[in-house]
Amino acid sequence: MTDALGEPDLRRRRWALLAQNPPEPGETYTVTSKPKRKQRRDAATSESEVDMTPMIDVVFLLIVFFLCIDFKILESKLPAYLPKDTGSRGGGTMEPQEKLRIRIVLDRRGEKTLRPAAKNAYYWPGHKVHFSVGATRADSLDDLKRELEELHRDPRWSVPDPKRPGRMKPMSVVIEPDAGTVYGDVAACVDAVKFVGFDDIHFGGGGGR
Amino acid sequence: MANLDAVQEDAKLDMTPMIDCVFLLMIFFVLVIDLSQTDLEDLILPKAKYVQPDDQPPDVRPIANINQGGDVIYKGNTYYAAAQHGENYEGMKKLLVEWRNTLKLTYKPLKEGQAVSAKNPNIPDDPVLVRADKWTEWHYVGKFMTACSQPYAQFWKLELAMSEIDKEDKMLKAQKAK
Repeated sequence: MTDALGEPDLRRRRWALLAQNPPEPGETYTVTSKPKRKQRRDAATSESEVDMTPMIDVVFLLIVFFLCIDFKILESKLPAYLPKDTGSRGGGTMEPQEKLRIRIVLDRRGEKTLRPAAKNAYYWPGHKVHFSVGATRADSLDDLKRELEELHRDPRWSVPDPKRPGRMKPMSVVIEPDAGTVYGDVAACVDAVKFVGFDDIHFGGGGGR
Repeated sequence: MANLDAVQEDAKLDMTPMIDCVFLLMIFFVLVIDLSQTDLEDLILPKAKYVQPDDQPPDVRPIANINQGGDVIYKGNTYYAAAQHGENYEGMKKLLVEWRNTLKLTYKPLKEGQAVSAKNPNIPDDPVLVRADKWTEWHYVGKFMTACSQPYAQFWKLELAMSEIDKEDKMLKAQKAK
């Protein structure tokens, strides 16, 4: 029993079955099943009810994870340069260049104390250094900044810019850390030098020994 | 009775999606953390204000981690252990030569007609990132810088790693608060 398209005609088949087994007199005939299309729609609606609990659990776990984890992301950097002629023993001669020299001198090493939540790392409370810019002594970073600002304004501390003929640029700065100074002291000094506007920073001295 | 059955049916949670998610997350974090942080040792960097943010690091970058003991570490391997090697800086040399030979560095362009020679050396133009602990004695960093400028390496550009927050200060404050 097929329809015009050759598909099985279910409605006609159902009526044919009813005709073969008619209901007894007095018996009522009720269709209990829903049409198939409606059944499928109902099933899809019930499946689309997503349980949000596991997702919320996972989101909370993620929040806890990101709060607890201590990412070792590098935040920032300061550029500096080494003398190019040190390594290349090619016989080329460098023109003498005037440079502003800043010495970092250790005043007090401080008391070696174990860093919180660390096994082999320490810090030195009471550690103190001072800075020497030429003959001028700066006891704090603020003093150093003030001194460098004065020098930055003074045209005698400027040199011709080889990249822009006819123009001047601030003199190169050489930082010379003394024995006992730590990376943090040098970083603070470099930061102050950058703050004032000296961009060409080099390192010299005896390597802190 | 029918009500009780309905309640029991409701109480059955499907754990599968959550377990799937957790496994995926575990795999993701294991891979990502391992890949991105092998170069960076756990050091407390000094605080600086007037710094360049390191938000777009280059693909190729030599990174030297120098801890408080003066050890030079790269990708988890200690190339120079100050307590063990003392004045023998062969490990540093090995690391710098390895960088020159294995990393795809860019070199300072030579002028027209110039060839690489002792007079015109092939100088790498890529900066070396120096990550040292805030309390690492400067002479350890100085020794590494001296090694960088030797004829076998000739690295002349440096970047000093800094932090915008003082992690140590935070740790000390947290300890005091306890």
